[in-house]
Amino acid sequence: MKEALILICFNTIFYILFFIFSFLGIPLLSLFGAFQYIFISHRNAMKKFRRAISWYGLVIVKILPYPFVMVRYEDLDKTKIGGPFIFACNHRSASDPFLMACLPYEFVQVVNIWPFKLPVLGFMAKWAGYLSVREMPFESFSKKAAVLLNDGVSIVAFPEGTRSADGSLGQFHGSIFRVALQTGYPVVPVCITGNEKIPARGTLLLRPGTIKIHKLSPITYDEFRGFTPYKLKNMVRQLIADEIEVMEGKGNA
Amino acid sequence: MTEQEIIKLTNQVFVDSFEIEKELLKEEMNIFQDLGLDSLDIVDLVVALQEKFGVKIRNDERIKGIRTLGDIYKFIISLKAEVASAAPNSRK
Repeated sequence: MKEALILICFNTIFYILFFIFSFLGIPLLSLFGAFQYIFISHRNAMKKFRRAISWYGLVIVKILPYPFVMVRYEDLDKTKIGGPFIFACNHRSASDPFLMACLPYEFVQVVNIWPFKLPVLGFMAKWAGYLSVREMPFESFSKKAAVLLNDGVSIVAFPEGTRSADGSLGQFHGSIFRVALQTGYPVVPVCITGNEKIPARGTLLLRPGTIKIHKLSPITYDEFRGFTPYKLKNMVRQLIADEIEVMEGKGNA
Repeated sequence: MTEQEIIKLTNQVFVDSFEIEKELLKEEMNIFQDLGLDSLDIVDLVVALQEKFGVKIRNDERIKGIRTLGDIYKFIISLKAEVASAAPNSRK
């Protein structure tokens, strides 16, 4: 009973703050973005706008649910090579796109059709140049992704395409890996665990817990040159699966 | 071309195009869920099968119903049979 009450209080407070912050924060961010255009170049304005979106995400995932939800981000990159990168991440929860704010890079996300239809967030995603992969043929997607990467903007994708119903790692779609093969930019596997119920699929109820995010070392073009897209996507999938096992205490560190 | 030869060549396409190990290629395997092919991989697969068997399958409606490796074997076998039966007629 006590636990249920705490859960209700936590969720009520979180969602009230979420809506207040979103409906105040997003218009302010948009004004901030528009204001930048007067003084700085389009490229710099976009850079600041995307960074502002990451700040918004960080507040949503790190501050508002604290201390019920804790986020632990670890960069396990041993190479320390420079970006931009193509990030490929597993997908278990609706909180995943928000958690990407922990990545300290300028990036856009590859999204499905529905996030663009969200009232305020969709507008912000469109403006930031997020890529709606199912609303364009692969050639257009590839061209737009290449322009962004050449401009120094990383791309975050969830190659499973949809949230896993049972927590298992689904099969990967190859579009983003074809972009990697065409452009030669490094692919970085990112693994998230602990947010299966923050919130669970089909509900908005947030359960308390600790979310772990591990960013692995980049796989450089020299390592995957000559691969088929199928081989590359399965290689990345296997790296993510292995790391998830370690994170969940089922594998060897 | 015998059915066994068609199965062997089809498996070879999967090995060459996707680097899938031969041991994984079983008739009952779902090409999407078990082998992990996506829509773009299917385009590559169709092109590779066309080249390997010298047939046109890109606009064949039957490929939409293909789910398993066994479905592909059956499809190619029936396609080769159609080509073989049409060949004498075309000579007339």
